[in-house]
Amino acid sequence: MATSEPPPKLFVCELCGLSSPFSYYGQKPPNTRAIVLLEECFVTKDPFSPDKEKFLILGSTCSVCSKCVCAGADCSLFYTKRFCVQCVNKHLDQFPHQIRAELAKKSCSCPCLTLRARSGRSLRADQ
Amino acid sequence: ESRSWDWDSPRCRAELDEIFFRQHDYIQSGTPEHKDFWAFFERFQRFKTKREMSGYDLGLPTDYDARYKINLSVCTKDIEERLGKQHKGGRSSSGPGRQEIAECRLSYLHFLDFTQKQSFNKLAKLRREQKNLPIFQYKGRIIELVRRHPVVVVAGDTGCGKSTQVPQYLLSAGFTQIACTQPRRIACISLAKRVSFESLNQYGSKVGYQIRFETTRTTATKLIFLTEGLLLRQIQQDGELSQYQVLIVDEVHERHLHCDFLLGVLRTLLENRSDLRLILMSATINIKLFSNYFNSAPVLQVPGRLFPIQVTYRPISPEEQVSRSEKLDPRPYLRILQGIDQRYPPEERGDLLIFLSGVTEISTIQEACQIYATHTRRWIILPLHSTLSLAQQDKVFDIAPPGVRKCIISTNIAETSVTIDGVRFVVDSKVKEMSYDPKAKMQRLQEFWISRASSEQRKGRAGRTGPGVCYRLYAESDYDAFAPYPVPEIHRVALDMKSMELGDPLSFVFIDPPPAASIQTAVTYLKDQGALNSQGELTTIGTLLAQLPVDVVIKMLVLGSMFNLVEPVLTIAAALSVQSPFLRSSQQNPDCATARQHLHSNQGDPFTLLNTFNAWQVKGERGGGSRKWCRRRGLEEQRLYEMVNLRRQFKDLLKSQGLLESEDGASSSGSRGQRMERLSERRKLHQLKRDHEQQESSKRKVLRLEEGQEDSSGSDTEDRGRQKKDKEKAGHDLDIQEVKFKLRHDVSELHDAVSACQDLSSRKQALLKLLVCRGLYPQLALPDEHNTARKDSDQVFHTKNKQGVVIHPTSVFANDPEVLHVPEDDGRETKKDSSKHQLLAFVTLLETNKPYLTNCVRVPALQTLLLVANSVDSNADCSRLVVDGWLELEFKLPEEALKILSTALSLRAEWERFLLHQLGHSSVQESSTRKVSRKDLEKLSDGLVRFLHYTEVSYSIRRLTALQTQNLYIGCQAEETTFSGVNALFPGVEAKPDPIKGGLCVTSFFNYNCLSDSRDLYSDCLRAFWTCPNCDLYMPLTPLERMQHEATCRPPGEQQQPEESVSAKTNSSMSSLTRVYHCDICDKDLTLTSTEILKHKRQ
Repeated sequence: MATSEPPPKLFVCELCGLSSPFSYYGQKPPNTRAIVLLEECFVTKDPFSPDKEKFLILGSTCSVCSKCVCAGADCSLFYTKRFCVQCVNKHLDQFPHQIRAELAKKSCSCPCLTLRARSGRSLRADQ
Repeated sequence: ESRSWDWDSPRCRAELDEIFFRQHDYIQSGTPEHKDFWAFFERFQRFKTKREMSGYDLGLPTDYDARYKINLSVCTKDIEERLGKQHKGGRSSSGPGRQEIAECRLSYLHFLDFTQKQSFNKLAKLRREQKNLPIFQYKGRIIELVRRHPVVVVAGDTGCGKSTQVPQYLLSAGFTQIACTQPRRIACISLAKRVSFESLNQYGSKVGYQIRFETTRTTATKLIFLTEGLLLRQIQQDGELSQYQVLIVDEVHERHLHCDFLLGVLRTLLENRSDLRLILMSATINIKLFSNYFNSAPVLQVPGRLFPIQVTYRPISPEEQVSRSEKLDPRPYLRILQGIDQRYPPEERGDLLIFLSGVTEISTIQEACQIYATHTRRWIILPLHSTLSLAQQDKVFDIAPPGVRKCIISTNIAETSVTIDGVRFVVDSKVKEMSYDPKAKMQRLQEFWISRASSEQRKGRAGRTGPGVCYRLYAESDYDAFAPYPVPEIHRVALDMKSMELGDPLSFVFIDPPPAASIQTAVTYLKDQGALNSQGELTTIGTLLAQLPVDVVIKMLVLGSMFNLVEPVLTIAAALSVQSPFLRSSQQNPDCATARQHLHSNQGDPFTLLNTFNAWQVKGERGGGSRKWCRRRGLEEQRLYEMVNLRRQFKDLLKSQGLLESEDGASSSGSRGQRMERLSERRKLHQLKRDHEQQESSKRKVLRLEEGQEDSSGSDTEDRGRQKKDKEKAGHDLDIQEVKFKLRHDVSELHDAVSACQDLSSRKQALLKLLVCRGLYPQLALPDEHNTARKDSDQVFHTKNKQGVVIHPTSVFANDPEVLHVPEDDGRETKKDSSKHQLLAFVTLLETNKPYLTNCVRVPALQTLLLVANSVDSNADCSRLVVDGWLELEFKLPEEALKILSTALSLRAEWERFLLHQLGHSSVQESSTRKVSRKDLEKLSDGLVRFLHYTEVSYSIRRLTALQTQNLYIGCQAEETTFSGVNALFPGVEAKPDPIKGGLCVTSFFNYNCLSDSRDLYSDCLRAFWTCPNCDLYMPLTPLERMQHEATCRPPGEQQQPEESVSAKTNSSMSSLTRVYHCDICDKDLTLTSTEILKHKRQ
């Protein structure tokens, strides 16, 4: 078995607390070939893909308040730049109505999503 | 590049003028319009600043474009070309135009964004679920406790998440080399899968498991799930357990023997390893016990997940209660299904889990429920027990279509080992538990009241994903009467702790010491089995026993290695150690029965298994072919692969113990080219295995409504359905079992092994049967004398401890009991006398609604008993023998009895000598002695086979009644003087009067003349004239004298074998035929053989 190694750098969302180790911060993650990120992101290998080269963007910093936020729709929004959900709400009027409509729709459908997530079935060992 | 940009500076403005307002531009520098522009610019800037003061300008584009929501871009070929100057010039007209490319690019970007969101949502969901677990808020506390204390107890109820989360917390805190034990193998696999998924290492090997045959462990593994038994074996190999830093022992409250024992061992181990961290995880029962055992270790109690579960007591009415022989009444269960249909709308999801005691009960209830399900079309009935095929077991995890509920009918496997999400209703009834009776050495599955703890556990299964209902088919008063905790298995199970070299088992500090008497019983048992010698020390067989996860069969292996029957014995031993590959469901299927026919051996089930295994191996082209082959015969392929694995493990073990010559060079032989070829093939196989593992993470399937029906009938519709599925899969899904198999075994080597044990000669078969029987001894059963007059289904047998047992319906003898009958036609004088009596040796006595014998072999009664029994007692003329105090054999002709007895005695003496030699030999290897023993072995096996085949003595055999066994022996009453005279006849062997039985202990197993006979007590003094076939001795001898002469007299040719070289141990008894004899009459010390002594005395 492996002996201890330096603990990996941890990405933590300042809004929801989601945490995950990340392997790269920047706009050009390794092994992504032609893909360029339009913002500086916290990136890790996609844990749900068997392919070693698939990456997953965990989050980035809000372009307004510089908070570290995850890429989840509950915490941030990307629209040419990254905005944390708090800043989006503060400057809602500056966003095009399409975005505003989307946000409004999401806030009402959210509880249903949570419910569905709970009844998801999976093989799991006891306790 | 706004190094020092100043909008107001004329220089900066001039620079901009150069760009925007050149001479040929629409507005030229210096014109009034130009001046107006700059004025506007200033006003515009002021306006913007004002707006910025009121709020922050996000600088968003005014026009909405979905493209702006995507945070990545991609540099494709067209962009490369555009950036790398347009020297490519004209694109060919047939290619996509700019617009098409743009469209494609947009979709591509959206796609990338979508896959990101998908994976991210998975991660977010996972983290959300982890956070919602009750244990989550204790994360920091747990890590801190583990850092500060050597032992920590984490107690939490079902669903608090301790099993999956605690190992992860430790990983994230930087601990490595973590081992987490589980009582069950299945939990090791599923936990390793779950935890590696949750710790985002699904495709790595940071988290692994290790069970009997399989491991996913690599050098990168930091957390390993393993069984308690396996950890115990690792401790045997490395007393310090230095490969681990942290040990987590899960489910300690279950109090299995292994677990209790492990805790005892770890307690001592901790004294030597102050750096080791031990975490005990338990349900919230009896926590103090564990804490106190480990020097008041700190306890962290975590509440369970709180979904309310409504409990309804529905005791079964007396008329629906079943008697022992009847089938279970399905009505109480059907009422619950109906009740659910009436009370809960079908849109409200939630499945039903019914706990039943055994496979028979499950199929009874399944049948009844299936009729209801077919009628209502609202249920899918699925059985769940360990003898189902893996594919069938797996179905319980699939999802029912909308409006339909799953009804899972399960043994207690679903109580703790398997968790099925989505269960909302639980039905709990009295459930049988498999337990082990150390005295009878058999497994009993008996109905007994479950404990409160385990009924709470079952109830908890209803509330894992939401509020649930638990129906208890007993009264609330019954519940209150349950024992609070399961009777710790340690009280019921035989101990084999001696093998751990922990000194006296009676002084071992158990968490809850079992009664000394039960430990004593266990030690006696180990002695009976030959695992301990009379001083209580571990024998070679005992050492072997300790290293293997199985016990009964191992003696067989040692014996087999001696007689060059290693290959078939390995197969049989492996086959008897795994579950039967014969699927129960296909037993009624006539096609399967026909296809199986040629595999059956009427010698017994182990031979059927041997045939099956060999036929499967010979099949050669495995993969799809094997699967089909197995399905046609109703075989579970997985079990056959398990046999291959176990067989190999046994073989390695025998080699490592020096009991089997390792064929060195066999695998490494072959030309370099061949080796390279094999290497590249292995590489290919490894790749295939990896590919498969990647595919494996497929999603749960949705069940079809017909699913249950197919199962219950076991018809070929299922077969067809599967075949279709197989065909669909066949293209890309190469059989993974096959791949793993090839990776682990040299196929050609296996083929050789098969050919070695195919077509056993009747000689070899007889010998093999004897070995199997000796391995299984003392598990013997006697056919009832009236069986010939009974129906096939009513055949009755008796064991030493249990009368009236029957053959398990899966056994070959269940369908063909005639082969066990004494043939009618040989001219016997009385009905009971025959030379053809047979016994059954069996592997287990399984007690369900009836006591069943499983895995039986038939053996000739007299010969086998004389060769394997631990105790043979005779009367004076040896016309009556009592074996192991329960079987009585009576001979018509004492003359014949005497002859066969003395043959048996000398064969056994020879056999023991070789066995001792073989076991002792393993360390010192002298080729010269080995050659000698090989020749002698040949002679011994010849002798044994002749004895087994050609002994034609008429005798009767019966089981003694309890009363008869009471007055069996003469008891201690002998006059020492007469005995001392006889005693002198036995060189080396100390024939002592037996203080309890009376009579004379001639060998360790044979006691002469201790049976109280109605005939005279002095017949041992009666002499009859007899001629020795070897030497020319002709004189009147007592039976004992005659036997003694035969034991020492060899055919002239081999008389002077220099046996001193064989073994130092046997020297005293066997090597020298002469001994010093002091004759009282002539008052001289003479060096004579015992025959000579006899002659001397007569003079």
